[in-house]
Amino acid sequence: MEENRTPNIIYTWMLNLNFLIILYIAGIMTAGTLGYVHENSALVFMHQVSSAAMAPWKIPTAALLLYGSLVLFLCVQTENNSFSYVKTSVEIGVSLILGYLLNFSYSGMLLLILADVIRRTGRIKRRYAAVGMICGMYLLMDYDLLSGIFHITPLETYLLYYRGDIRAILLGVKNVLFSLNILFFIIYTVQLMRTQMNEKERILSLNDKLNQANEELQLANRQMEEYARESIKNAEAQERNRLAREIHDTLGHSLTGIITGLDACITLIDIAPEAVREQLKVIADVARNGMTDVRRSVKALRPDALERMELEKALLEMMEETRKASHVEIEYCCTAELGHYNKDEEEIIYRIVQESITNAIRHGRAGKIMIAISMEYNVMNIWVKDNGVGCAHIEKGFGLHHMEERLAMLHGSLNYYVDNGFILEASIPIRWGE
Amino acid sequence: MGTVLFLGAGLVLNDGYKKFLFRQETVLTIGVFSDSYWEVQNGYSYRILEDAIALFEKEHEGVKVEYVSGVLKENYPEWLAEQMILGRGPDLFFIFGEHFNDLAEIGALKDLSKLAERDEDFVQARFYSSALNCGKYGERQYALPYECAPKLMFVNKTILTREGIALPKEDWTWEDFYEICKAVTKDTDGNGTPDQFGVVGYTWQDAFHSNGVQLFDRKGTECRLTDEGAKEAILFMEKLDGLYDGYHVTSRNFDLGNVVFQPMLFSEYRAYKPYPLSIKKYSGFEWECIPMPSGRRGANIAELDTLLLAMNDNTSQTEYAWEFMKLLSGDERIQSEIFTYSEGVSVIRDVTEADKTLQLLIDSSGDDNGLNLSVLSSAVENAVVTPKFRNSKEAVAEVDKAVRDIMEGSSNISMEQIIWNREINNFLKNRLER
Repeated sequence: MEENRTPNIIYTWMLNLNFLIILYIAGIMTAGTLGYVHENSALVFMHQVSSAAMAPWKIPTAALLLYGSLVLFLCVQTENNSFSYVKTSVEIGVSLILGYLLNFSYSGMLLLILADVIRRTGRIKRRYAAVGMICGMYLLMDYDLLSGIFHITPLETYLLYYRGDIRAILLGVKNVLFSLNILFFIIYTVQLMRTQMNEKERILSLNDKLNQANEELQLANRQMEEYARESIKNAEAQERNRLAREIHDTLGHSLTGIITGLDACITLIDIAPEAVREQLKVIADVARNGMTDVRRSVKALRPDALERMELEKALLEMMEETRKASHVEIEYCCTAELGHYNKDEEEIIYRIVQESITNAIRHGRAGKIMIAISMEYNVMNIWVKDNGVGCAHIEKGFGLHHMEERLAMLHGSLNYYVDNGFILEASIPIRWGE
Repeated sequence: MGTVLFLGAGLVLNDGYKKFLFRQETVLTIGVFSDSYWEVQNGYSYRILEDAIALFEKEHEGVKVEYVSGVLKENYPEWLAEQMILGRGPDLFFIFGEHFNDLAEIGALKDLSKLAERDEDFVQARFYSSALNCGKYGERQYALPYECAPKLMFVNKTILTREGIALPKEDWTWEDFYEICKAVTKDTDGNGTPDQFGVVGYTWQDAFHSNGVQLFDRKGTECRLTDEGAKEAILFMEKLDGLYDGYHVTSRNFDLGNVVFQPMLFSEYRAYKPYPLSIKKYSGFEWECIPMPSGRRGANIAELDTLLLAMNDNTSQTEYAWEFMKLLSGDERIQSEIFTYSEGVSVIRDVTEADKTLQLLIDSSGDDNGLNLSVLSSAVENAVVTPKFRNSKEAVAEVDKAVRDIMEGSSNISMEQIIWNREINNFLKNRLER
């Protein structure tokens, strides 16, 4: 509110000036009336007035009380829209009574209300109605206009009591005061407009800054996405390299041994069948070792959670973590017994659920995910549905591809489609501990 | 806080503060003047009012009725205006017919129509309708009549007897009037100038009233000077004037017994008829009063002068004030005192037509001839009540100027009527615009 200081000071001046004007007019009326009585020309005055007079002391007293109440009403600060309408209406009502009391010779207090309404302008909706109403009142509250409709005594009648030269001075002072009030109002409005224009400029520049920051942020986002894609590719490559290495180190090693051994056997089979038998035993050992190595390699690829705990527990923990991490609602329903599966089966169940949740959050931007796991004869069915945006054309990414591949290894099948979100169905034949 | 000040202003304006500041006993104040409305010093100035107060205070215990004594009739309008302007106006006050318009116009008088309708005790039919109409402004009743006096034609019976002319009948016409005037206008002492005349003080208004001319419409927006009746009246006035050949007759001539007719208020008859007051004035001849002569289009009627009672619009004692008004203007005990202590006529028909009243009039006048109560009663009942509007006095003055001008001018009467009518209508219009 620092920038509103100048208009506020002018507004205070206006309040003081209006006080002075009202006191002045009420004073002229009272003094004029008493003057007529003092000069024994009450009858003349009575013939000139157009309305029944009230006791002279009442006019300034009531006028000042009314003005005081008007000022206090003006000081009430409100943000409430309808309440501010009531406030403005009450203020106009008070001014009308005040105007009536002063025989409609002064309507400048309406400018006070107008100034107040304009001041609150930014926060009040449909303010034009209020402004229009006050302007209309200001224009209509004119003695010459109203005297045609109502019986009002003009201020001039009271002034007629005074001598010509004094009357001229009194009228002159009145006019100066009136003009001063209008002048104050104009300065006030100009100041207020300047303040508001400054404010607007400030908001505009802030907006610019915000837009700039936004753009930068978007750029960073894109870079992050690219980086993520690259990371995945890197991870894939690393994984492939590791697999290649493993295959080379373990299978390659064993197979090489087996091939070499078998070649020796082919040479030896006619010469020394006993030696072949021994050789074949050695080859079988190599193959067995190779198998152990392969198992060890596969074991190295297993998810950490599955290493540490049971499948069911691992699933629940993963979902809980997701819920916590991304605030997605996950409904989980499992009717199948989740123990005693082979490690590769457990792994794929875990991977499918994990991947589906990831997809739903990342691509579907879902807020709710439903997961159902059931067993039908020897086939396990996993059904995942989300309430995300889905997509018109499903583009098979790394995740889906990977799932398909893994399922194919276990003779399972994968099915997915869009219907009010993305739905994924996977079936895995269970081997029961083979 | 604002609301508190606002309510404070309301209390100041409607005198509510008095309830907080003073513990008031119920006091009803009456505005009254000390001498008679009919310009007669009869020593009974407050007698009727005192009697009414005694009656009222007996009937309404705890209510005190007060009035300021010693205000002369000539100062009364100014005194009343001062009191009203200073906000000290009495609850109830007497007003003269001529001031009624202005007071009603500025809203100083309470509209009694509602009170009258609500009150079953208040029977309008008991009043002379003309007297009631005197207290009407527009269609509303703003005042009740207190006493009235119709205009009657005073006849010098001595001259008529000397000239061998019979006293005109009650339904006499302009022709009878003119014939008598013509017959009596002569030079009795043979000095070359006429010294016995037909009439003095017969105005164009008297002629208009008795020829059914309604000079203004009810609202005072249009003048009807161009009416055929008005033309006849003006021609008749010219004819009457023609009898004196430029000689100016004054009421002094009537006092000296040289004029047959002079229109006067009934109150003047009451004032000067009784012994010994009559000694000073009309001692040299016998005289009598009869209704005014009628024109071709009108009747034997004239205007009514009425003293009215009105209630202050700001009174806080509406009910008591209304009761007291009813007592003063409608109670037969009080109204019958008018014939004893005042010179007017009661506004209640039964009171005026009572045998007791006739006896009283005969007793006070010292002779029993001539005065027929039915003449008096019908003169009041049929009296003309001119429409009242703001500045009607000024409008009548304009018409007076017009009639004089038309009578003095030599050109076509109808043309002059039209020209003047337009001018007066302009005057009426400007009055409305003022």
